[in-house]
Amino acid sequence: MEPIVITGVGIISALGSNKHETLEALKAKRTGMAPPHYLQTKHREFPVGEVKKSNEELKHMLGISSEPTTRTSLLGMLAVQEALKEAGLLATAAGNEPAAVTFVNGTTVGGMDKTEQYYLDFLQNDNYNDYIRIHDCGSTTNLIADNFGTLFTQCFTVSTACSSAANAIIFGANLIRSGQTEIAVVGGAECITKYHLGGFNSLMILDHEQCRPFDETRAGLNLGEGASYFVIETQDSACRRGVIALGKLSGWGNACDAFHQTASSDEGEGAFLAMQKALSMAGLQPHDIDYVNAHGTGTPNNDQSESRALRRIFGNQLPQVSSTKGMTGHTTSASGSVEATICLLALQHQFIPVNYGWRKPMSDGIMVAMDTKPNHPLVHAMCNSFGFGGNDSSLIISSFAP
Amino acid sequence: MSSTRIYIKSATQISMQQPLSEEWLVNPVISNEPYVRSTDPDFKQWLTPLQSRRMGKILKRALTTSLKVMNDSGVEQPDAIMTGTGLGCVENTERFLYQLCQEGEDLLKPTNFMQSTHNTISSLIAIHRHLHGYNTTYSHKGISFETAMLDAITQMRLGDIRTALVTGNDEMSPTYYSILQRIGYVGQPGQVPASEASVAMLLTVDPVDSLCEIEDIQMGYIHPLGANNPAVPTTQVDKLVLGTNGIPAHDVLYEKIASQFQGVSRMDYKRLFGENYSASALGLYAAAHLLHQGYANRLLFVNHCDGQNIAFVTLKRTS
Repeated sequence: MEPIVITGVGIISALGSNKHETLEALKAKRTGMAPPHYLQTKHREFPVGEVKKSNEELKHMLGISSEPTTRTSLLGMLAVQEALKEAGLLATAAGNEPAAVTFVNGTTVGGMDKTEQYYLDFLQNDNYNDYIRIHDCGSTTNLIADNFGTLFTQCFTVSTACSSAANAIIFGANLIRSGQTEIAVVGGAECITKYHLGGFNSLMILDHEQCRPFDETRAGLNLGEGASYFVIETQDSACRRGVIALGKLSGWGNACDAFHQTASSDEGEGAFLAMQKALSMAGLQPHDIDYVNAHGTGTPNNDQSESRALRRIFGNQLPQVSSTKGMTGHTTSASGSVEATICLLALQHQFIPVNYGWRKPMSDGIMVAMDTKPNHPLVHAMCNSFGFGGNDSSLIISSFAP
Repeated sequence: MSSTRIYIKSATQISMQQPLSEEWLVNPVISNEPYVRSTDPDFKQWLTPLQSRRMGKILKRALTTSLKVMNDSGVEQPDAIMTGTGLGCVENTERFLYQLCQEGEDLLKPTNFMQSTHNTISSLIAIHRHLHGYNTTYSHKGISFETAMLDAITQMRLGDIRTALVTGNDEMSPTYYSILQRIGYVGQPGQVPASEASVAMLLTVDPVDSLCEIEDIQMGYIHPLGANNPAVPTTQVDKLVLGTNGIPAHDVLYEKIASQFQGVSRMDYKRLFGENYSASALGLYAAAHLLHQGYANRLLFVNHCDGQNIAFVTLKRTS
């Protein structure tokens, strides 16, 4: 198959508003976790990885003043903008427009931030009808797309909970692979809402302290928010457009754990199958993988199950593994692309993102990376994203040598 | 990409028509009510009482329609499951949201949250049948089902899969009806009823005993000012299947497209199945059976949502 290359990247998260700030934070092992500041919640006890900007500040950065908007759509617009700019697709000179750019967005929360604010009004009056119109996931995608004029010729929304962005990348990549589109912007966006903070709390899987993925004392996850997108295209398309390939999407796998709506199986069957498929598609052996960005939420169940799946794939020769959710928080539907971007940054700048917050190994668990310095060149990185319902996906991002 | 041919082997529905049946072809239920909920089948044939108790309406319908097409087609272990849903599990979402807004952030019920993500449906089917293959969910307003179908077709043409269970599910609770009525989506004068949809289709590369062939699917995004807009397929067809719903501003695009097919008969399927975010799944289900029963040889299915997202599907008779 003709290589699918990454020619633009955009990211916004608790670590910063763009790729540069994210890279600096990762290399400095800085966490973006803090008590809730922008989310109007009574749950002050839970650390969260908020994007450190108000909606008004986000709108100012985008140069837009109109409503209705949602926080997820604003985060999405900023990250898409950064990705398009790098790929040379922003404000393309007239007469030189690309044939077709497809947008595949992952989100689950959609416009829930506004719905939870105005829901009682929705039931009783017409005061906030504009926010009814943009409540659903698809409207979030359309809102983001509309910010870029007539660039996008197809818009799709994937909603597989915490693996949404990874599955958006997979769908977009298959559309390119099958020749149905030349260029796609793929990834996901999600803001923190009281809805899912309350939901995860009701499931008792939020840690009251800084989360500690793969640590013996881990007690749950910390929520985060953000957005990240790749511009992907065939190598041929990138060459014709004269843009630089930053990396390659060499393989992907999607499998279902088929075990439980909110828990992972002990053997991590879905995770195992997703990683196995990704390796097979990339034509790689486990020992070719230099770094794994684990899903690693910090819940007792996920990290135990994922450790088991990683052992089943890699045996005792584990590559460097880390979960970066101790720095970004769990950015839910955006996590697949936020962490795929972290993998790409690691390859481009040859460093290992650390497993922030980790101290004590789990019994029967895996050792995680705590030093940013790699002991050999990084060429292939694997990125795991697992969602409710056992919607498990794994991506392989590689350095690109033409 | 290969020129793999793709077929709909089995398709069923639960809607405002007789459930799990094609009775609507000869004896349709016609309603002038603004809001009609689905007629449920006897779930006991498909689910145990315990399973039924644990599931909301949309999950029971989704699982039942899925089990029926897997059974009818003999494809008990499809390679992939793709679901389209505009709003997901609305009743659970509403319960959780109402409690959050009315009673605050404490004491929220985990069950409502767990079953409120859009992918609950696709994963429930996988859990029920222990299906570890590709599994995903699309939630893009009125084109969610076609996106799921596009994914299945793409992977079949790529040779990654040979069979796929593609489902479209949306429920319409009384509160959601009233909310959507506020924004003019349903409940307007002259409009077809607001309704619910659960559709399951088994897609395969095997032509034997199929309902019809899926010749092509094209999806696009329409910009108000014109540039880069999708072209209407120019295929020769003997039937149009259109999503007109009685609201002139909504129907104008369908009429414009229909005017390019002078003399071609049409089915306005929402007269029978109503309007909801998965209505197009019912339209495609109906189209497959129209072909199978010999009402057409090749048809063009057109669906748009808010004049923004548009889908064209060309289906061809095989039997």
